[in-house]
Amino acid sequence: MRHARDLSRREFLVRAGGTAAAVPTLSAILEACSKPGTAASGSETVQIARPDNPVTLPMNGEPIATDTPIEQGATLQILNWSVYMWKYVINQFVQQYGDNGIKFSGITTFNNMDEGVQKLQSGKIKADVFFPTIDVLGKLVAADLLQPLNHDLIPALQQDNWAVFQNPYYDQGWRYSVPYTIYTTGVGYRRDVIPDDVIHGMDNPWSILWDPAHKGKVGVYPSYRDVMAIALMKNGITDLNTSNDADLEKVRTDLLAMIDAVSPRIAYDASYNKLQRGVFDVTTAWSGDVVAGWGYDPPYTEASYKGYGYWFPADRKGPIDNDLIAIPKNAEHPRLAHEFINYWISFRHAMDNFSWNGYQPPQTQADVNELTKTQGLYSKQSSSWAAPTPYVGPWMPDAVVRETDFPIGYREGPLPADVDDHWHEIWSEFTAGVGS
Amino acid sequence: MSVPSEPGPVRRRRRRGAPADGDERVHYSRWFWPSFTIPATIWLAILFILPLYTVISIAFGTVDPIFRGPLPVYEPWWWSGEQFGKVLNDSFGFYRIVYVHTFEYVVVASAICLVLAYAVAYYVARYGGKRKTLLLLLLVAPFFISYLMRMLAWINLLDTEGYVNKILTFLHITPHPVDWLGGRPSTVIMGLVYGYIPYMILPLYAFLDRIDVNLLEAGRDLGAGPARTFLRVTLPLSRPGILAALVIVSLPMFGDYYTQNLLSGSPKTTMLGNLIDEAVGSTGQGPKAAVFVIILMVLVLIPMLYYMRSTSRSLAVR
Repeated sequence: MRHARDLSRREFLVRAGGTAAAVPTLSAILEACSKPGTAASGSETVQIARPDNPVTLPMNGEPIATDTPIEQGATLQILNWSVYMWKYVINQFVQQYGDNGIKFSGITTFNNMDEGVQKLQSGKIKADVFFPTIDVLGKLVAADLLQPLNHDLIPALQQDNWAVFQNPYYDQGWRYSVPYTIYTTGVGYRRDVIPDDVIHGMDNPWSILWDPAHKGKVGVYPSYRDVMAIALMKNGITDLNTSNDADLEKVRTDLLAMIDAVSPRIAYDASYNKLQRGVFDVTTAWSGDVVAGWGYDPPYTEASYKGYGYWFPADRKGPIDNDLIAIPKNAEHPRLAHEFINYWISFRHAMDNFSWNGYQPPQTQADVNELTKTQGLYSKQSSSWAAPTPYVGPWMPDAVVRETDFPIGYREGPLPADVDDHWHEIWSEFTAGVGS
Repeated sequence: MSVPSEPGPVRRRRRRGAPADGDERVHYSRWFWPSFTIPATIWLAILFILPLYTVISIAFGTVDPIFRGPLPVYEPWWWSGEQFGKVLNDSFGFYRIVYVHTFEYVVVASAICLVLAYAVAYYVARYGGKRKTLLLLLLVAPFFISYLMRMLAWINLLDTEGYVNKILTFLHITPHPVDWLGGRPSTVIMGLVYGYIPYMILPLYAFLDRIDVNLLEAGRDLGAGPARTFLRVTLPLSRPGILAALVIVSLPMFGDYYTQNLLSGSPKTTMLGNLIDEAVGSTGQGPKAAVFVIILMVLVLIPMLYYMRSTSRSLAVR
């Protein structure tokens, strides 16, 4: 919890300016005149969560009461990544609560987490639900931007979601967050160029991103953490938050070698659009992107869908992660937000959304062995989709995430500032195109 | 016989703002005409000087301790030159190649723009005749579509299965489709030329259209052929227009990032604008982005100063 002494300098100046007529205290004057960025802040209270260092986030106030009525005539406001929620499922929610006069105004989107946090921080967007990543969760709580959840209002977490998320390491007791989607980071590839048995038969399939045979046809995400994580994996380094200079030097060397070897291109839609269109042969890929790729591959035939695949280590030891749903502190309809979260992570709705966006929810009722066989709602509904397909193409079973993957997978967590700067420096060398 | 000289003009000191002898025009307060600059001054102060100072404050500032977003430091006595020194140091290191690329692409693209735009502007100004208005309208037409949309259109055209490759292979100019979007500097340059050429045609046209035809005829009368007339009369007279057009086009090119993003995406063609774009979108890298902005400003000041010097000289000659 932040105390009065923890006022940031900016907050102090604003408040001091507003009460200019009043006589400021000497300590306040001295604090305002101190070097910016050195004033006491919540930074010391942000603990870096790791699977072997679970964090219990401090309570910023109390959750709303269980008997809080649903806000009548509320307009649901969502702050989320773009192309991440099926509006059909949202509309179903609005219809379900039609008696309460609930409306939906649309989703305010962001392209990266920084942008999302900025929108939240500005206070101009009073979102009811927000979708943070694990690395910013602790910071959002330290900055008092989230409100604690009332567990009684979200029974779906315990009823429908995997046990591994009942008490996650990044938010012990899920005080502020519930899991949204789960995904692994692996390699997307065109099966007509790289047959399945070739990539699965390689000693080190991560190295296919460095294979000169695919020069000019390699795509990487504009995400320094994920691309560098893959370089770490290629070198057999499993600490994806490493601060070890020798490890990072290997990453640097490999990234610069990649430029010479394959002339990679940086694209956010590398694995859900450019791979499908044949622009790339091989890409860094989040499992959900490859699964969702068919939506970007007209005329949406089964043949074209079968054109691309996803590789992840057979022993399931690779980068794995999940996104979150939380309620901002300034949400205007916190009770409705609880209802929405409960609705969204319940089995049927979570799976409906999965069939549209390709990102798997951690649902206990969803048999992971059946996901490559069972059709999702979108596949049944869509008029543009020529061939009904299962949630995940049977030819890409690696894209299915299992609960057992989480204890053995490797997590990307928040980095200390100096380590993060070092990572950025290496990434800058890569994006500057220096070459080895 | 000496010719009586006419008396020269009598110069008398006149109080500023007071009417001259025999001058019956309305006279205004000495602040009347300068007051016309107030809106522009306010505009500049709000939309240029303040943002610029904020950028400088970010470059010499720090980052938010929690989210590591840029935290501008407005008091110069607290400024830290650490980030500036680091970026400058790297500018002579691994960033050097980015400066070189940026300079190469902008110079080549501006040169191509100049050659193409000059020919078009010359034609419209000299031979447009009654169709001048129509031709000008057609020249302005690309402005009706956003730059981003035009670039997105090029992605489809330049795709390996796009029309450009279809035509090239159909005409047997290339045996196989060319991977135009595979991180080629030529594609980035082409994109820059396409995106910015309208900005060059219009100022060139404005200058060429104002050249007195009598001067060209005088050149011909004195025995110069069409080429010589062009080289000795038209080209020198249009020099201020060329410089203005080059400045108008090259300055935004230096900061361009989306052309490279959309048509290449390869680190091998990274431009200075891409470095700024990336730093702005990265946690804790805000001050670095601001430093790049300042460096870019200083770099583009050089051609700007040259332009100002050249135009002031030509005004002095007149």
